[in-house]
Amino acid sequence: MSFLLACPNCGERGVNEFRFGGEVSSRPEPDAPRAEWTAYTYLKRNVAGDQREWWYHSYGCRRWFFAVRDTVSNRVRSTAWPEESGA
Amino acid sequence: MSATPSHGRLDQRPSELIDRSSLVHFTFGGRRVAAHPGDTIASALYASGVRVYSRSFKYHRPRGLLCVAGHCPNCLMTVDGVPNVRACTEPARDGMVVGHQNAWPSLDHDALSVLDRFDRLMPVGFYYKALHKPRFTWRLAAPIISRLGGLGSVSADAGSEARYHHESRHADVVVVGGGPAGMAAALEAASAGVGVVLVDDQATLGGHLRGDPRHGAEIGALAEEVRANGGIDVLDDATAFGLYEGNLLGVHSGDTVLKLRARQVVVATGAYQTPMTFDRNDLPGVMLGTGAQRLTRLYAVRPGSRAVVVTSGDGGYRDAEELLEAGVEVAAVADSRAMTASAQSAADALLARGVEVLSGHVPARGEGRKRVDGIVVARLADGKPSTEERRFDCDLVAMSGGLHPAASLLYQAGAMSRYDDSLGEIVPGDLPDGVRAAGAVIGASDPNTALEQGRAAGHEAASEIAGAARLRSREQPARQSASATERRGPLAVAGSRSKEFVCFCEDVTAKDVAQAVDEGFEDVQTLKRYTTVTMGPCQGKMCLSPFAALAAARTGQDPERMGLTTSRPPVRPVTLGVLAGPSHMPVKHTPIHRKHVELGAKMADLGPWRRAHSYGLPQEEARAVRERVGIIDVSSLGKLDVRGADAPALLDRVYTHRFSDLRVGRVRYGVLCKDDGTILDDGTVTRLADDRYFVTTTTGNLELIEQWFKWWTAGAGACAYVTDVTSAYASINVAGPHARDTLAKLTDVDLSSKKFRYMCAALGDAAGVPTILLRIGFVGETGWELHFPSEYGEHVWDALMDAGDEFGVSPFGVEAQRILRLEKGHVIVNQDTDAVSNPLDSGLEWAVRFDKDDFIGRAGLVAARERGPRDRLVGFVMDNDVVPQDGVPVMSDDGPVGRVTSARLSPTLGKGFGLAWVPVELAEDGSPIGVRVEGKVARATVRTDPVYDPEGGRLRE
Repeated sequence: MSFLLACPNCGERGVNEFRFGGEVSSRPEPDAPRAEWTAYTYLKRNVAGDQREWWYHSYGCRRWFFAVRDTVSNRVRSTAWPEESGA
Repeated sequence: MSATPSHGRLDQRPSELIDRSSLVHFTFGGRRVAAHPGDTIASALYASGVRVYSRSFKYHRPRGLLCVAGHCPNCLMTVDGVPNVRACTEPARDGMVVGHQNAWPSLDHDALSVLDRFDRLMPVGFYYKALHKPRFTWRLAAPIISRLGGLGSVSADAGSEARYHHESRHADVVVVGGGPAGMAAALEAASAGVGVVLVDDQATLGGHLRGDPRHGAEIGALAEEVRANGGIDVLDDATAFGLYEGNLLGVHSGDTVLKLRARQVVVATGAYQTPMTFDRNDLPGVMLGTGAQRLTRLYAVRPGSRAVVVTSGDGGYRDAEELLEAGVEVAAVADSRAMTASAQSAADALLARGVEVLSGHVPARGEGRKRVDGIVVARLADGKPSTEERRFDCDLVAMSGGLHPAASLLYQAGAMSRYDDSLGEIVPGDLPDGVRAAGAVIGASDPNTALEQGRAAGHEAASEIAGAARLRSREQPARQSASATERRGPLAVAGSRSKEFVCFCEDVTAKDVAQAVDEGFEDVQTLKRYTTVTMGPCQGKMCLSPFAALAAARTGQDPERMGLTTSRPPVRPVTLGVLAGPSHMPVKHTPIHRKHVELGAKMADLGPWRRAHSYGLPQEEARAVRERVGIIDVSSLGKLDVRGADAPALLDRVYTHRFSDLRVGRVRYGVLCKDDGTILDDGTVTRLADDRYFVTTTTGNLELIEQWFKWWTAGAGACAYVTDVTSAYASINVAGPHARDTLAKLTDVDLSSKKFRYMCAALGDAAGVPTILLRIGFVGETGWELHFPSEYGEHVWDALMDAGDEFGVSPFGVEAQRILRLEKGHVIVNQDTDAVSNPLDSGLEWAVRFDKDDFIGRAGLVAARERGPRDRLVGFVMDNDVVPQDGVPVMSDDGPVGRVTSARLSPTLGKGFGLAWVPVELAEDGSPIGVRVEGKVARATVRTDPVYDPEGGRLRE
């Protein structure tokens, strides 16, 4: 992996400056059914294509942000702070 | 051997790189060899008469120069202790020590060349077929085979990481290849005002056209223009070995790897000339036409006195002309094609100079023992060599099997391949974004086309960067100029003799390939793996084209469907040392490090930290803490400052325990879980104010936990801020019956058990330094953890040592701390727990507050509670006088049922004891278990209470 990712704060950097946080998913309510919790905890969609993901800029501003990445080509389509993209 | 290098030299050549006015000397196999500055090892050796440069991988056949371009395996030598150096590109330097490889006692007389006679016993993959029954055969054979076959040997002390460097660099446009296309691309891009880096694997620019009789002057002028252009940075002797995602190029040059990030890449890597495949095509003296040219053009070395050119295209005629011009007699040109229009005039010119031209002839076999002394060519009839043969005396056979695009970088970047019928070659097709190609790598066969393509690629790359509108548009160049060559003729015919080498690296013959196809390896990828063709040091540069053609012919598939083997980095072998580079392992020293060194501590690496393991005997240090007072540097603990109105809510959310109800001035232990209920980390949480907490984490987990806290606040708009203060504070734990007496001498804070109770905190001065004092007890004694500005680390350490002197204070290290905490049954996350441990099974259920509506891990823990535990983490004491090792299995009569996570000798009991995961049915106090100690099962008893001070009275005193 050596693609580039634009941190909303620090700009375009090599991917090795970042930590991957997985696909953005919404955490169930505490009283949600067991199946919903199980799906949230263990089941990954493993999308082939555009995926909304968490990334953390470990070697830079140390903040989490969202990126939309094509998991096939590793092309990053956009990045944004979570609050800007309606977390 | 001649003492001067002039013996085999031609008269001065305009393009020569050597400086004839001076000499350098190196030794080769103990003999002194003279060279001119500018010579390579191989050119100097060739000039002095050396023809055998190596012994082949499997059959130990003598091998001579083949490519003279740093591509093939034939001249690999050991230079100054470094194995597998390519002598044909390594500059000759004064005093260097050069030795041969894979031959004994010498290159000329290699005892193992006897293997050559037993080739019938060693077909491809013979070791898979013959050496597996009985099974011990392979164990016996493997070391012998790996000794007999192979290349140089690595000297255990030859390498040192200090020699290697890594650099990173960004560029607008990177052009790979310094031939006409690459130079044109670089100039065009630079003229548009973008920054250009030109990477060339040779010492001088010009590619194959350096010193070319027809184009050399023009190319030389272009090279000077490139050098003079301030916008182009030329990296000479630099190999781009990989083109990775995001246009990241790995570039190897000497002892450096450069990570070169390009916005646009232009690949103009040219092509490799392909060998012809015929019987004994590996005899020294049989070389590529371009190899012979490089000897004459660059080093003014006479490649031979009488030559025969064997070719499958027009290139051979030019090679013949050039040999003639260099004063080499050319006996004949054998062209595997019928006479073509494109070759006719060149053929006529050669005939006029006394060269026989044989159309429709293929080389049948080379003759000679340790060097070629003749070649037999055969007329083709119906595509097969007939018995109509001609033999020519010669000491040089120049092979010109056509040009195979050096397209590895393009394929690595994701280019598709297509079969070009007019070239008879597979060439790269659609290119990925940001990558362009020009010149012979995409099939251009004449310099003008290459220049035109180069200019276009350079222009496009610059336009992409500068914005297309600002630049004039250009006409798209033709893919190939009108003077395209005729389709190339066959490289090989038949494949029935046993010494028709396809792969020079691993001694694989055409017969081996045919046999492998017949055995069912019909796919080019499996065929490669089975035969090992393309897998040697040349990485397919010499063999891929003939191999693919041979495989396609034998399987009856068309070449496009057959395809090529996958291109992977590195394009050219890169030494492991330079890939590893200098050490980047950051080592952290605590602010008190120097004190440990002064005390003669044995240091240990714990994650990035160097910590004091012990100062003497850990058991003695542990005893000092139990009986008197000890101090330990715990500065490596992760420390986080968590503030804000929503800080209590954040901590309630991420910890299983509750912290919103923690009173100011109190400390509470906390466990962090993931949503599946498994343990992430643990530590203490101290409330310093309503909206301020001081949090500690496990040493190795600080960054993870900082990220974890920030993750659960990201985007939520919460007023909670997390700051890593690990390096801001030095930390010392003072513990033992005299801890209070010791610390009281340094602070006004009331330390009495009534005023400063267990699990309480205070802010105050200690030794005159503002300090956070936490009364906690990881080691199970009365004690305080002091956190204070790290600048005062040594000062407070010294003050504590002085104050404790009258009480017999002892520093203690990590090992003593581990013994002491184990006696208290205190868990170390990741030592006693693993990725599937949850707090319920780990004996930490008291730290889980199910009455909270939600926390991270609640759902997983609710499920775990309903499911009930399978295993539990429990303490145990050995029945006899043995101490198990960490990690050994817990045994029942039926086999292993659990594992010991930590075990030590207990100073309190004088017995081995520890923590272990055991099945719930064995987790009751008093259960007998077995523990493997030195291969035998030793009896032990589960003990659920801590072995030291089970009531915790000592902590509260």
